[in-house]
Amino acid sequence: MRVIIANILAIYRKELHGYFVSPLSYAIAGGFWLIAGVLFLFGVQAALGAAANAAAQGQPVDVPYLVLQEFMGGVGLLSVLVILPVLSMGLYAEERKRGTLELLATSPLTNWAVAVGKLLGVLTFYISLILPLGIYEAIVFSAAVPSMPLSVPLLAHAGLILLAAAVLSLGMFVSSLTDSTVLAAFLTFVLVLVLWLMEGIVRLLPTAIGAPLAQLSLLRHFGTLVQGVVDTSGLVVFVSYIILGLFLTAQSIEALRFQRS
Amino acid sequence: MIEVEHLSKTYGTTAAIEDVTFTVEPGEILGFLGPNGAGKTTTMRILAGYLPASEGTARVAGFEVHESPMAVRKRIGYLPETPPLYPEMTVEGFLHFVARIKGVSAGDRPQRVRSALERCNLQEKAHVLIRKLSKGFRQRVGIAQAIVHDPPVIILDEPTVGLDPRQIIDVRNLIKNLAGSHTVILSTHILPEVSMTCSRVAIINRGQIVATNTLSDFMAQLSEGSGYEVEVDGDIQALQPLLQLISGVRLVEEIGADRSTPLPEDRKRLRLLSEFGIDPGREIAQMIVGAGLGLYEMRRTRATLEDVFLNLTTEEKPVDRTDVNSETPSEAISEESIDTSDADRAPLLSEPIPSEPSAPESSKEEAA
Repeated sequence: MRVIIANILAIYRKELHGYFVSPLSYAIAGGFWLIAGVLFLFGVQAALGAAANAAAQGQPVDVPYLVLQEFMGGVGLLSVLVILPVLSMGLYAEERKRGTLELLATSPLTNWAVAVGKLLGVLTFYISLILPLGIYEAIVFSAAVPSMPLSVPLLAHAGLILLAAAVLSLGMFVSSLTDSTVLAAFLTFVLVLVLWLMEGIVRLLPTAIGAPLAQLSLLRHFGTLVQGVVDTSGLVVFVSYIILGLFLTAQSIEALRFQRS
Repeated sequence: MIEVEHLSKTYGTTAAIEDVTFTVEPGEILGFLGPNGAGKTTTMRILAGYLPASEGTARVAGFEVHESPMAVRKRIGYLPETPPLYPEMTVEGFLHFVARIKGVSAGDRPQRVRSALERCNLQEKAHVLIRKLSKGFRQRVGIAQAIVHDPPVIILDEPTVGLDPRQIIDVRNLIKNLAGSHTVILSTHILPEVSMTCSRVAIINRGQIVATNTLSDFMAQLSEGSGYEVEVDGDIQALQPLLQLISGVRLVEEIGADRSTPLPEDRKRLRLLSEFGIDPGREIAQMIVGAGLGLYEMRRTRATLEDVFLNLTTEEKPVDRTDVNSETPSEAISEESIDTSDADRAPLLSEPIPSEPSAPESSKEEAA
């Protein structure tokens, strides 16, 4: 067990080091923060507009809550469609292209340890991307009267991280299928878009098939968490995606050896 | 230390290697010699546990590679055809990472990394990013990663590819120094490499081992090729039967002038092949002089490793040896001549022959 943890840590540290010296990760971070800042402004404006409407009708409205929902929705969409596929695209494709997979595959490491280490590494990088966004939120929410309970934004961010972990895990699997990073990014994009839009897709299907499929929707479960509701089924879905991605990755790397090289 | 028995690997319907059997004793350096595409890399990959074999067994340090992969992986250092390097790491950082995943304890790591750097002459590049290294240095980092955890078995797939002559000498010396404490198997298509570094040779061609032996045995085996060439004047018609009578002379034949040294009209050149272990030089000279003929040149001819190799890997139509030798006098057979000799013995083609086994080459380019 200690060896496995040491191996996971070794891969994790290598991955993190890779992000800190890679120009691509700085470009991703810069782009993400720029767009997230704009989304935050939009979120505040939209919430203020809604609040003005509600006030005109004499209804009470929870402005910070609206801001959080708008903002999280935007950041979630931005992450799922752009940032996460780009982050996961190189996880294995790059190793395959460089031939370093041969090093990993002939070292005393299990495929699982490598996959877990890689997933933790890329997830840590993503978390470091969303941490600075907390500053804007802290500024806005600290001005809220009555003050917002801390659990609500925390839960929303935990949901974002879970969502990211699920998408990255699936993206990692896609990346293990090819040695082209561009192809990996595109396929991951298509896959998560389908999962994101699952709710809309199932409306076109008969209920017997549609209802179970709707549970696969990333959007639905993410939305529940952002509303501040801890929903076990949502957690189960996200964790299942994560484990599924890890499992498929480990299998696909194993299967790679049996293919024509 | 390495026991390979009846190993076969088929990709779909094509067999990459067939019924390969050989052993490597502890502390030995085995050269795995063959033309490009002969199945060297496939064999190396199976030994390293990267590819599963279709049939047969391979045992490394007492463990079957397929049944106990982790035990084998701990005990091998492996340099693939393309050195597996992370360009964004420094040489030292990369070696630390490899030592870590190979299970070297934290306390031993700095010392092991230092010693690998020293052995591969990489000290002054320790803090340079791998991305900025030349091909030769990258290859050396590749070797360093194979020895950093001090494994009992080291598998090197074409370790000197892409190095300049000076670096090749360094790497060969490095490999020679590994013998004794390590068991080394290295693949190559360069003949002098084998004669310089290896204690034993396995020659592989079209997926099959055509011979395994020590170098001196190979030479002896090809002693048919050794003998003398003499240049004489006068009546060789009478001389030839006399020479044939000398004990140890197997064959006497007249050979024409070769292109490089034209023969004066009254001279003739003869080739005498001797039997293994007998050197009839003295008798030949006496016989010629005694017969009253002028002896202008007498030259000993020896079988070279090139002869052995070509003899073993060439079927039916023999390659014109003088051609090959004159093109590359000292430094082996160039890649092209082997390639073409492999491709149905066609003469040197103007356009390159597409060779599917060198596919990793392209990925190397991209990575660079």
